[in-house]
Amino acid sequence: MAGVTYRHVYKRYGDVTVITDLNMEIADKEFVVFVGPSGCGKSTSLRMLAGLEEVTEGEILIGDRVVNDVPPKDRDIAMVFQSYALYPHMSVYDNMAFGLKLRKTPKSEIDRRVKEAAESLGLTHLLDRKPKALSGGQRQRVAVGRAIVREPAVFLMDEPLSNLDAKLRVSARAEISQLHRRLGTTFIYVTHDQVEAMTMGDRIAVMSDGLLQQIDSPRNLYNYPGNVFVAGFIGSPAMNFFDATLVSEEGKLFVDTGDFRVHVPEDRQQPYNNYVGKEVIFGMRPENLHAPQFAPPGIDASPIEGIVEVVELLGHELHLYVNAGKNSMVATVDTRLQVNTGNQVQLVMDMHNMHLFDKKTELAIR
Amino acid sequence: MTSVSAPKMTFSRFLMYLFVIVVALLMFSPVVVVILGSIRTTGEFMSNPVALPKTGIKWENYTDILTKPEFWRSVGNSLRITLTTTFLVILAAAPLAAIFARVSFKGRSVLFNILSIGLLFPLVVAILPVFLQIRNLNLINSFWGVILPLVTFSLPGSTVILIGFFRAIPAELEDASYIDGCTTFGFFRHVLFPLARPAIAAIATLTVVNAWNEYFLSLVVLGDSKKWPLTLGIMQFQGQYGTEWARVMAYITLLIIPAVIFYLLAERYIVTGLTGGELKG
Repeated sequence: MAGVTYRHVYKRYGDVTVITDLNMEIADKEFVVFVGPSGCGKSTSLRMLAGLEEVTEGEILIGDRVVNDVPPKDRDIAMVFQSYALYPHMSVYDNMAFGLKLRKTPKSEIDRRVKEAAESLGLTHLLDRKPKALSGGQRQRVAVGRAIVREPAVFLMDEPLSNLDAKLRVSARAEISQLHRRLGTTFIYVTHDQVEAMTMGDRIAVMSDGLLQQIDSPRNLYNYPGNVFVAGFIGSPAMNFFDATLVSEEGKLFVDTGDFRVHVPEDRQQPYNNYVGKEVIFGMRPENLHAPQFAPPGIDASPIEGIVEVVELLGHELHLYVNAGKNSMVATVDTRLQVNTGNQVQLVMDMHNMHLFDKKTELAIR
Repeated sequence: MTSVSAPKMTFSRFLMYLFVIVVALLMFSPVVVVILGSIRTTGEFMSNPVALPKTGIKWENYTDILTKPEFWRSVGNSLRITLTTTFLVILAAAPLAAIFARVSFKGRSVLFNILSIGLLFPLVVAILPVFLQIRNLNLINSFWGVILPLVTFSLPGSTVILIGFFRAIPAELEDASYIDGCTTFGFFRHVLFPLARPAIAAIATLTVVNAWNEYFLSLVVLGDSKKWPLTLGIMQFQGQYGTEWARVMAYITLLIIPAVIFYLLAERYIVTGLTGGELKG
């Protein structure tokens, strides 16, 4: 059992810096997800923790121990890889037992642990098979089993569900969450899939361009994104952004995009006062745009008009891609709304859920 | 072309078969001549090289050879040279290929190019400098004088075959083995080497056949006839039984058989080994 700490960690390949000043404290037994687009440095951060990549600068700690120069095998970690990385020439049993054999664990103990893990993962009848004879989902479970039997202090997972089909991924997601609860071990999980991140993590670390953008609980990331990147990355469909100016008239604040002007509710005005007359980025999530006739009570903004360009009905959700002058936006509206491509549509914004970002720094204004 | 049921015999298909059969016959005809010659009398052979025996199979051509101690001594010598060479080639080529394939270091491509140049020179071309070297090392008339050059000249080809195979093994397997507790050598021993079995079988076969059939180097290095392998044994035998063509043919057949058997045993590995690692899962 151990927490993990990144302290001013940098990773450079020659002149290229792929991780810049990464600082993070992960508590013991926490489930943290590293998420970000490809090339953001999430896998590299994990691989440095695993000891598969060297740390250029800074320190990584597992528990109280600095592990920069500790070889992977002595870090008390186990890892599940995207391709599962099962040894093709070994049976399922031997794949799971391999790490323990190398550690000279007594045979009876190996047998007990492998059988226990196999039992819990429903792999008992497959122990004699070679990986080639397994389905994708079974291989993924063997890879997890191989990590479990080691009883590591920290579990590392590098996109372990990416190679599964969509349906299997949903059930495997739940299994891994249950596993975390059952084992009570620190989990660090890398994914590019924000749904995995939101559903599994105690906290999510959003990364981009080698920088940690924000680390927080899924709820806080969603409701209080710290900058434009996080706001746009978390949530699907992504948040709508508009270049706007903040204007004050008769003591009231308005966001003016040129195409439309919306009123900032009184209870949200306070942090924005310094930005009056300045350019800002105005953010509004698609689900906070409503068709007026189905809008929840308490929304008093004047409607915006636009032309519907694309209609996507997902069954439980209706996405409209709307063009309003120089701005376009996505709205997730009530499925009862009857609308077709090319129709004029009215939308109202729930300004209690508005987001405002500094135009230069792209940081949230709070 | 890829259909499973028997395809229709079209003209182009007929030409294809014809071509394959002609080539196969050309390749196989010397072997047929040798085998047919070895089971008949010399007279029969001289009057018609390709014909079935008229007066029954002459097993004595074989039994005469198989009862000679000199023959069995040569078999022993050939085995000794072949097995030692093959063992050493695998022992050296596998780690060498693993390093070239999996470790990046300064000067790797230069060293690899030097290694590849070795592919261009057959042993026979380099026999003079090799001979001088062997003499300097005091290995004239020693088995090592044959084995070491054979190993050296087999290494480039064997290494290149193995490199291709090792490169195809996914990097995540290496990562996984380190996390499971392997050192770099442990990864080689527990993962890379066992996975490369088809490729190892391929280079083993090539080396076995090459060393078993080696003639010129032994001729130059081994002066003592007690150390002669089968290839030189034939020469000696021919000297004694110069007019007994049938027996010489029997001797040649006996020489061919082990290499053929070994090839047939390893054949299914060779194709995968030479075409690179088809590793799934």
